[in-house]
Amino acid sequence: MLKITKKLEERTLTVEASGRIDTTTAPDFENEIKDSLASVSELILDFSKVEYISSAGLRVLLSAQKIMTKQGSMKLTNVSSEIMEIFEVTGFSDILDIE
Amino acid sequence: MFKKYGITFGGLQQKIINLVLVFLLVLTGVFGGMSVFQSNALSDVVGGARVEQERSITQVSEATMHATVEGTMQQSTTMRAKIADDDFLEVVENIKLMRSVAEDLFEKRDIIVPAAFSLPDPADDGKVTAQVLYEQGVDYANSEYLGIASHMNNLMIAMYNNSSNVGSCYIGLADGTHIAVNDMSSDKYDESGRLIPFPVRERPWYKGAVEAGDIYFTGLENDTYTDGICITCSAPVTVDGKLVAVVGIDVTIDNMDEIVKSKDAAGFSCVVSDRGQVIFAPEDNGIFDIKVSAEAEDLTKSDNKDLAELVSRSLSEPTGLSLVTINGRDYYMCGSPMKTVGWSVITVVDKEITEQPTKQMLDEYSRINDEATDKFETGVKRTEKTTLVMILLVMILGSAAALFVANRIVRPIEHMTARLDRIKAAGGEFEMDEIYRTGDEIQVLAESFKTLSDRTRQYITEITEITKEKERIGTELELANKIQADMLPNIFPPFPERPEFDLYATMTPAKEVGGDFYDFFLIDDDHLCMVMADVSGKGVPAALFMMMSKILVNNFANMGISPAKVLEQTNTVICKNNEEEMFVTVWLGIMEISTGKVTAANAGHEYPVIKSADGGFELLKDKHGFVVGGMEGVRYKEYEFTIDHGGALFLYTDGVPEATNSENELFGTDRMLTALNAVKDAEPKELLVNVKQSVDDFVGEAPQFDDLTMLAFVRHR
Repeated sequence: MLKITKKLEERTLTVEASGRIDTTTAPDFENEIKDSLASVSELILDFSKVEYISSAGLRVLLSAQKIMTKQGSMKLTNVSSEIMEIFEVTGFSDILDIE
Repeated sequence: MFKKYGITFGGLQQKIINLVLVFLLVLTGVFGGMSVFQSNALSDVVGGARVEQERSITQVSEATMHATVEGTMQQSTTMRAKIADDDFLEVVENIKLMRSVAEDLFEKRDIIVPAAFSLPDPADDGKVTAQVLYEQGVDYANSEYLGIASHMNNLMIAMYNNSSNVGSCYIGLADGTHIAVNDMSSDKYDESGRLIPFPVRERPWYKGAVEAGDIYFTGLENDTYTDGICITCSAPVTVDGKLVAVVGIDVTIDNMDEIVKSKDAAGFSCVVSDRGQVIFAPEDNGIFDIKVSAEAEDLTKSDNKDLAELVSRSLSEPTGLSLVTINGRDYYMCGSPMKTVGWSVITVVDKEITEQPTKQMLDEYSRINDEATDKFETGVKRTEKTTLVMILLVMILGSAAALFVANRIVRPIEHMTARLDRIKAAGGEFEMDEIYRTGDEIQVLAESFKTLSDRTRQYITEITEITKEKERIGTELELANKIQADMLPNIFPPFPERPEFDLYATMTPAKEVGGDFYDFFLIDDDHLCMVMADVSGKGVPAALFMMMSKILVNNFANMGISPAKVLEQTNTVICKNNEEEMFVTVWLGIMEISTGKVTAANAGHEYPVIKSADGGFELLKDKHGFVVGGMEGVRYKEYEFTIDHGGALFLYTDGVPEATNSENELFGTDRMLTALNAVKDAEPKELLVNVKQSVDDFVGEAPQFDDLTMLAFVRHR
């Protein structure tokens, strides 16, 4: 359902999520990210293969954003128009750094 | 497996017994085989030794026998030959003397006065006398020779008297007359008292001596007067190359009698003449017939080569021992010459007799051997019997022991099976009974069963607890669900006293407790507040968060402040204590009922759908603020729109457009609008039913994860 690939280069963690981030998969997504955030100053979330994100997924993004605000920065890349629409509807596009 | 006589056939018990039996069988088989092999080997050795010993005994014995027989036979034969020859030597000397005297007399016949002579007188029988005999037709009274020859009468009488070897002395004269000296005067006459003519010059001794020209021994010849046979030694008497007489002596040699009587169990001796004829031999000797010379066979020319060779050789030298087969029987023969007469003595011994000692010895040996063999075989048989009994005993004892051991192994297992069956049927605890404490695998097995049984019981207890707990939680969740549902206004129509509008709302949670909620309430007579919200996440936490949010929004809205302020105040309160970082999207609108003007604020919620009096349902792409609870100090923007008479408002959560079918397609806002526009002037309840039906048709059997919450408001014309 959701496949997560992580790559740590020095203090930059790149996470590529693939599939649906919904109520079922969001806890995995949250654990994968939070387990790797120690001493990371830049978190890049590659959303090129994300098909859907539910409110549970949005909560993970919000939670990660709050941690990264304290220890560096976080940005989302390759966000598709469907996902972008969700971000816009929910107002997340205002608080997230989306490339 | 089946049980009979207390033994489980096909079970461990039988297998153990089988194993022991096979082991015992192999063991006894090996022992039996070994003893049979040893016994056979011993028998072979004994038998082989016996054959070997018998052969050895035979060889040694025969060799010894041969040597003994040869030595003895040759010696005795030579002795006999010599003794007989000595006798003949005497006879020969006598003949020589007679011849010499006769020659002397006839040489001087012219000057010698003829002596008186007379015919035999039967009255003289038993008295040794000189008796004149003559050939038929010869005038004996006028014979010149008789008168001269009669000078020898005294000499011949002396010879007869002095020698036991002389049966009769005589002188046959060339004119057909004859003087015989013996004590059998009456024999010369026949029954009628007439003198029997004596054919002097026809007699074999006469003819033989004349022919030989020297001393001559006849073979066996018929006696002229008796029925008997005799041998005669004779010699011609010649004067001036002219034969005048033949002197002769009938040989009656005692030693010949010895030879004749020599037949005994061991054999016999016989005398063979220079013509190869048997002269003296015991009667019924079984080999040689004694016949007169005219009829007797010349053995030197016998078809039996061995015999012919022996006889020929015996005439000139001691032969040594020869084996001669006559009429299928083996005989040892040994010959030695009699020099004087040119004859030989041959001793014959039946070979079988010489073998008798060997035979006896072999028989004795055989008897001893047989006894020993019998004893040995009896011993072997007894041992075999004992072994058989022992094998049987070992089998029985082994089986009993195996049964005992097998029982000890099997009984705990059977006990265990019975115990487990009872536990299976009635439930209960497996207990470590004393029978399982065998100290082997069975004890380990029993202990494992015990552990398994304990664990199982523990699991059952735990599962019972867990099930109870789960049921309790389930009950509580159901209760929470009910409380949550009760939290939402659910009496329709909600404002029956207000005919100018109608409103209907539903919430279908995906899980037992959802995070969506809707709300509507009158702030005052002219202001209706409508709320549609969606809490992030699901379950009890979402439900609790939703309750708090609903109460906060409700409270702040009832204070009469603007929608944006309501959301901002709510956000501030939630953010103060939001360790879980939950948030809620909220659309809040306050409508002035008299005019249809709606003032609204959107905190990250879906676009509302509105319908004008104559138009269709369409999305209102309003301005969005951030979700409530996500961040402190968020400002919200307000906007306004109006619902005409005949217009409508449709609010929903993302569960509607994001309903997913089995092909992973989203229901989307387009299908939602189509469903609404299908019967666009319908009452609120019908609108929601249509949308729900459309969603259900779309997703089919695919499971839904999101709540489905909708609210429809219609302003009547």
